[in-house]
Amino acid sequence: MEALLLDLALGAYLIATLAAGVTLLQPNLKATRLGVLALVAGFMLGSVVLLVRSLRLGALVLSGGAEQVALFSWLVVGIYLVVQLRSRLAALAGLVGPIGFIGALAALGSSEQPVDVPELLRSPWLPVHITLAVVGDAAFALAGLVSAIYLWQERQLKARATGKALARLPSLETLDRLSFRLLAWGFLTLTLSIMAGALWAELAHGRMLNWEPRTIWTVVVWLVYALLLHGRASVGWGGRRAARLTIVGFCVLAVSLVGVRLLAPGSHSGAYG
Amino acid sequence: MNALGAKGRVEKLRRPRRDGELVVLGVSHHSAPVELRERITVAPEHVGAAALRMRETLRAREVVVLSTCNRLEVIAITELADPLEAFANELSRSHDLPRLGLDHHLYLHRGRAALRHLFRVASSLDSMVLGEPQILGQIKKQFRQAAAAAAAAGGLKRCFDRAFRVGKRVRTETAIGQLGVSVASTAVELATRIFDDLAEKTVMLVGAGEMAELAARHFRRAGAHGLIVVNRSFERAVELSRVFGGTPVPLERIEPYLHMADIVVGSVGGAGWILGPAHFTEALRLRRRRPMFLIDLGVPRNFDPAVNELEGVYLYDMDDLDRVAQEHREQRSGEARKAEVIVEEEVERYFRQLSDGEVTPTIVALRDKAERIRQAEVERALHSLPDADEASRAVLDAMSNAIVNKLLHGPLVALKELAREEAAVVEEAAEMVRRLFALEGETPLLPTALVEGEDDEGG
Repeated sequence: MEALLLDLALGAYLIATLAAGVTLLQPNLKATRLGVLALVAGFMLGSVVLLVRSLRLGALVLSGGAEQVALFSWLVVGIYLVVQLRSRLAALAGLVGPIGFIGALAALGSSEQPVDVPELLRSPWLPVHITLAVVGDAAFALAGLVSAIYLWQERQLKARATGKALARLPSLETLDRLSFRLLAWGFLTLTLSIMAGALWAELAHGRMLNWEPRTIWTVVVWLVYALLLHGRASVGWGGRRAARLTIVGFCVLAVSLVGVRLLAPGSHSGAYG
Repeated sequence: MNALGAKGRVEKLRRPRRDGELVVLGVSHHSAPVELRERITVAPEHVGAAALRMRETLRAREVVVLSTCNRLEVIAITELADPLEAFANELSRSHDLPRLGLDHHLYLHRGRAALRHLFRVASSLDSMVLGEPQILGQIKKQFRQAAAAAAAAGGLKRCFDRAFRVGKRVRTETAIGQLGVSVASTAVELATRIFDDLAEKTVMLVGAGEMAELAARHFRRAGAHGLIVVNRSFERAVELSRVFGGTPVPLERIEPYLHMADIVVGSVGGAGWILGPAHFTEALRLRRRRPMFLIDLGVPRNFDPAVNELEGVYLYDMDDLDRVAQEHREQRSGEARKAEVIVEEEVERYFRQLSDGEVTPTIVALRDKAERIRQAEVERALHSLPDADEASRAVLDAMSNAIVNKLLHGPLVALKELAREEAAVVEEAAEMVRRLFALEGETPLLPTALVEGEDDEGG
């Protein structure tokens, strides 16, 4: 049942990606609509699977890398759809589609492994901590994507180059503002996630912070984004510089997500990390 | 065929058909500079009254006046031999323009060319911005006004109805309406790639000539609200500011205003570089690095090209814009070609339907004439044969009938087939037949058939 739903979700994301590709090459209202609708369908299917699994498990499904990837991409698609409601960003669907696809694939791969959740980790603060962290990561990832599109569009405009695809992209101003908003929301959720995590650590281990690599990296990530937001809000950084820093910020985040998990052991790298 | 009906048709053929010809008179961006165009505009709400006046001037049966930013056109059915002269006189009189040299800026299309022109205008193939969407609505509205003022009726209605259909067809069957093409609209389009909402943006015109005005008009139409007009001659700056509702600034006072502008359009002639990196570095600092879009239409250029190196500054000169516009044009030249083909098809179809109408009366006239000759000759023969019995009469009748039918068979079949030919061929051939058989009708003048209902009066 879950596998079938996930197969359907895979199909939906594939359609969304193809439709976005078509739109980019040859502006086409029908394809644009189809793409967004397919993303909505994929997102709904993903939501159902997530709900079913979590109910069966009695806890939020976060039992390891694949599940987190699935949750992460589910959120990226979700946030994208919310953004799409307000500003027309069909161009982004071409990038969000594959992310959703990978997420559904990860969920499919991890579908047969119900994990026994240790009693220690059954605190309500843990899922809050992890959920907020993944929401923040998803927002930062989208901010990075938006910034990448910004840089591309900016370079084209500077070079006075034109192209069909360019005409379908949102304006520099729109992209810049969107990236800023995503950063702000991401930063807020990241901060809340750190607080929830500290609270949980305090309750579970009696310590607010354990200085393991992942925690340190997270603090680095938090500082990078804090600096970036400060620069944007009060120094007036914007445009190219802000876009580049947003991408740098996401790279640091990616290192903390992937690299630390693989290389350095700790409470964040286990089945529940 | 009853004798009365036949007689009526013959009568109709004999009547001179010169009720008038379809003509288009006009002045547009193709024919006249903006200085002239802006002096002869007719407010869109007054086109009905203008049409009535023009009907008087052109001694026309029907008139529609079309007034948009870039054109003033009079579409009429008139008998006047030189409508252009009358049109020019009227323009000169009513708009207080020197009559001398005015003709150079006006154009006249007649008959088929007039219809083609109307179709092209409705398809926005004649527009400054190729494929712009407003024109069809404007024409519809202004035709209705002319009709309401009783300046236009059935004849022009047929032309305009068809023009609306052609315009719609071009819009649905080609992708011509998707992008703006002219340099000014390209500039606007580029601006929308940088800025989110032009409504909050301020446009600064450096130089207040025709190009500046054109740019201002395009940006205004795209929603840009704020306008600063900088010009060496302050009076002209004030004048243009009044037209578009902006702030006039003398050229030497430009610097304190520069940072307020999101879009700067330079079009000062013969001045060289007016603004360089130093000016814009300062402006960018004051506007907290918000991007600036610079459009250099000056010859020689007004902005130092090094300005483009500054972050957040996007400088396009005339050649860049033209190249971008060109790319669009190339992308869409296929669409424009398709649209031209549609227009040509529709002109052809329109005239073919008319030529059906030309061939049929010729056929009828030929038959009628033959029938009359036959009857007259039979009558005469019977006079010479007073003793002829019923059978002999019948034989005479049948024989004469056979002669006429056999003789006419070739020409009639040929004429019917002719109706499928191109209009010009039909016209020529029909006239030849009329002359060969001395059918006495005037050479059919195609657009007369545009006058609806008239022919049914039966002479």
